[in-house]
Amino acid sequence: MQNISLLLIVCVPAIGAFLLPLIGRLNRGLRNGLAFIFVLCSCLLSFSLLPCVLSGKVIEIAKYLPLGFNFILVADSLAVFMACVSSAISAVILLFSWDYISHYDNQNEYYSMVVLFLGAMMGLVFSANLILMYIFWEITAISSWRLIGFFRKKTDVLRADKAFLVTVFGSLLMLLGFVSIYQQTGSFDLSVIREYFRHNPLSAVTAALILAGIFSKSATLPFHTWLPDAGVAPSPVTALLHAAVLVKIGVYVYARLFIVNFPVSLLLCSIVPWIAGVSALVCGGAALIGTDFKRIVAYSTISQIGFIFLGLSLGTEIGVFGGLLYILMHGIAKAGLFLCAGIVEQNAGSKDITKLGGLFKVMPLTAVSFLFCVFSVMGIPPFGGFFSKYMVFSALVGNGNQMLTFIFLIGAILTILYLARLFMLVFTGELRIAAKREGSSLMVASVVILALACLAGGFFVGYPSKVVQSVVNQMLTQQ
Amino acid sequence: MNIMLFLPIIVPFVSGGVVLLVPNRLPVLQKAITIVATALNLALAIFLFKQNVSCSLPWIGFGIDFALRVYHFSAFIILACSCFGFLIAIYSSFFIQKNFRANQFFSYFLITIAFTNGAVLADNLLLMFFFWEGLLLVLFGMIALGRPGAFKTAMKAFIIVAITDLCMMIGIAIVSRLSGTFIISKINLPPSAAGSVAFVLLAIGAISKAGSMPFHSWIPDAALDAPLLFVAFVPAALEKLLGIYFLARISLDMFQLSAHSFLNTSLMVIGSVTILLAVMMALIQKNYKKLLAYHAVSQVGYMILGIGTAVPAGIIGGLFHMVNNAIYKSGLFLTAGSVERQTGTTDLEELGGLGRKMPITFICFLIAAASISGVPPFNGFFSKELVYEGALKRGFLFYAIAATGSFFTAASFLKLGHAAFLGKVPPKYEHTKEAPLAMLIPMAIIAFFCVFFGLCNSFALQKLIQPVLHQANFHAAEFEGFKVNAKLTAVTLIILFAALANHFFGFRMRGKAIAAADHIHHAPVLSFFYAKAQEKWFDPYDIGLRIVNMAAGFAFRVDRAIDWLYEILIVKVTGFFSGTMKRLHTGNYGTYLFWSLIGLAFVIIFLSRSL
Repeated sequence: MQNISLLLIVCVPAIGAFLLPLIGRLNRGLRNGLAFIFVLCSCLLSFSLLPCVLSGKVIEIAKYLPLGFNFILVADSLAVFMACVSSAISAVILLFSWDYISHYDNQNEYYSMVVLFLGAMMGLVFSANLILMYIFWEITAISSWRLIGFFRKKTDVLRADKAFLVTVFGSLLMLLGFVSIYQQTGSFDLSVIREYFRHNPLSAVTAALILAGIFSKSATLPFHTWLPDAGVAPSPVTALLHAAVLVKIGVYVYARLFIVNFPVSLLLCSIVPWIAGVSALVCGGAALIGTDFKRIVAYSTISQIGFIFLGLSLGTEIGVFGGLLYILMHGIAKAGLFLCAGIVEQNAGSKDITKLGGLFKVMPLTAVSFLFCVFSVMGIPPFGGFFSKYMVFSALVGNGNQMLTFIFLIGAILTILYLARLFMLVFTGELRIAAKREGSSLMVASVVILALACLAGGFFVGYPSKVVQSVVNQMLTQQ
Repeated sequence: MNIMLFLPIIVPFVSGGVVLLVPNRLPVLQKAITIVATALNLALAIFLFKQNVSCSLPWIGFGIDFALRVYHFSAFIILACSCFGFLIAIYSSFFIQKNFRANQFFSYFLITIAFTNGAVLADNLLLMFFFWEGLLLVLFGMIALGRPGAFKTAMKAFIIVAITDLCMMIGIAIVSRLSGTFIISKINLPPSAAGSVAFVLLAIGAISKAGSMPFHSWIPDAALDAPLLFVAFVPAALEKLLGIYFLARISLDMFQLSAHSFLNTSLMVIGSVTILLAVMMALIQKNYKKLLAYHAVSQVGYMILGIGTAVPAGIIGGLFHMVNNAIYKSGLFLTAGSVERQTGTTDLEELGGLGRKMPITFICFLIAAASISGVPPFNGFFSKELVYEGALKRGFLFYAIAATGSFFTAASFLKLGHAAFLGKVPPKYEHTKEAPLAMLIPMAIIAFFCVFFGLCNSFALQKLIQPVLHQANFHAAEFEGFKVNAKLTAVTLIILFAALANHFFGFRMRGKAIAAADHIHHAPVLSFFYAKAQEKWFDPYDIGLRIVNMAAGFAFRVDRAIDWLYEILIVKVTGFFSGTMKRLHTGNYGTYLFWSLIGLAFVIIFLSRSL
């Protein structure tokens, strides 16, 4: 039974995505509904696996092929946690796009790509084979390429190409890394690899190659500039890229490979936090200067990803706990920010924050939801972001590196400043653009859901932290 | 029994949520809920007073539990906060006007009380911080409810406090790592290097909450922009209590500081600088509320100075001053509120002669102003004397600064009282009436406490303040009773008379009460600094933002430089190579044949070598 749910989580969106364009030719409403149901199906099935994997069981589907290749899906608690987070956020985003996308061309492609995107994410999360992982990884690259260039203007297409080229360049490097691991271990199967590396070191070059792939996908310095440029995409897509799927893929693979499967190398432990720190600083600063709504939020993503990498790379129990909790809290809040940006962009007709202003009066619900998400990203209690930020800092202090602590303190201060500036310029002051109304009720409802989720994440932090705690325990015992 | 500990958090919080849902059409219901909730809270606080219990529920793990504890100190702070909450709730029932988003205000007000109780009751450092920083949100919300444009001030307050809270968060992380526990009552750290860093970070949070320099600059702005009730309750009373409470806890219980350590001295320096600079700014203000706001900053200086002395008299004085200041400062703001409600303005240029029109307000003002100026036998006098005594033990300079501060305090309140309540009544206020009873009662109660804590200071000191120090490394027996130091009292009296003389000198010179401090304002060197300060040259917030913006500009360039690599360099390099290849492929059959022959030659050479 659980095996079937695991298979369905991946297959329903991955195969359903190709049905959507056909159905779209018959009936648009049916297509929209089905797209949502596919995502919801993944989401509910992921949640249904949660109690089982939290009790310590691991669900596995394997089909062995010659030469050490195999098709193997494994659901351990880390994978299920990640699947729950991504699919739940994606479901809200999809709901939002019903109204957002309703008056643009190429909707068939849009829905099919979004659902495929999520399906590939699910496949990646559960795959326990490097080649399988790589294949899903590239599927997300292709669908994000189509989605970023959705509006088909010349700059949009160029930006989409840029995103595609940078991430694919990175993933080719990663593939080289995978091949060199195959040469060492003779298998792509993660469980074989894990056994091998219990007794053998991982070469620095291999690690660096894989890291390059991860950093290019997660938009970390110096592979990050495609992410702010990808802001030309429709807002639900940027929300999907930033909050739910794309950048979280890199983070997930980092957790999966470097924490669970590969031996801890001192080199990595000391270099990755620094890269994350510089990334947090530079992009925090850039966010404070930028004037484009979505670019600012995008820079904010890059700088927050730095915090996640920091937590994970410290490798201590509390650090990994903080990093994973951060994935959850940041995902919810960041999706909310981008969807609010989408509402503002559609109703006010501009993304330039120097031209916006005073929207609090016109769209109070959006503004308050935006504010809630902002507080959560800043890490202000009682919002969920507070706990994740504290945990990451606590791990950092435990590590005893003062310079890094200082850098991330500045990073956190910049977070407060650029988000405050963004809110002030967009929502307060004089109303300068003839924006008349709130977004459609469905759009506003989806941002309100996310905003309330931010708040609930803080008040009922006990539940997610219990889940994350057992995920961390399982991860660290597997090591 | 243990459930009782949760009630002071749950009751106001839930009623705050309920009030938010009550539409503004039903103001009576809103006010009724607020008053009942604050009354319940007060009852709970009285019940918890003298209790000593604790309880703990599991929360996040990693030693972070939902642990609450009530003992003398926290019970006392909660009692004080709930008294103020109750009084302000009564006051607000008449003060809140129509067209005001009252549901939000009352809701934030109640949540503020809930979070304050939580912060004070928490026995787990992170839980305390959860409530402590949670106050930030309601602070932001309450300021933003003020007059149009208040968002800017709200954000300023938010940014300042959020950044200092971030420092405090890291301080908490360090403390928990050093001591291996989050339980406040078990933390007792020796003054190591890391411990000092932690102390500084925690102290930054504490003094920023209390509104000391250099984290003060939002308070004078908020005095004008935010709703008056907010200013009377939060920066004037609540935040002082919380900030100084926490400062006392970290410097008395959690860290073993030696009296002459660098940290204590820096606290004293911060305290004295705050006293002097803020009171100098207060002196030249021409607005009732803004003048009070600068005093709200300046008075914190006395408390920090007192605690920083690490001398028993100073600490007792600092804590006593914390209570006294909360009493008279909120009282003063309430008089400002009743003047504002009855006349529609707090601009001192327009006011005058209100003493005859609003006699009870005037009397309350007089008592509170005498307290803050340190006139015997009101409460402010006794706590200031104790602070002086402590300061004098640590250095004459600190004492001198504190005493100078008193001079300016008295001078500015003479000016304020004279300008607002004495003199001729302007024609448009000819028919001004006294404020309604519901507003007068809280003011009168507060004024009563000013007198009571002054005349019966031994009661306050022995019942309220001294039990606090049982925990600390002092013995309470050292300060049984209170002996007024005759020499210091004489100096204080001389200073007060000097302030009076100065006021009449200024009044004579300019002929107007409001201009009574102008001879100081326009004194040769001072006038330059005053002018620049009024232009906000010295606002640490603005200076900080400028620095951050410069750094951010640099970061932005770095980012653009990296982008240039992708957009220009890689494109150019690729273009160069493909262009070169393109030029080589001319389509000329002869050229291709030539290339092929060269290639063939290479192949042959390679093969012959390997064979």
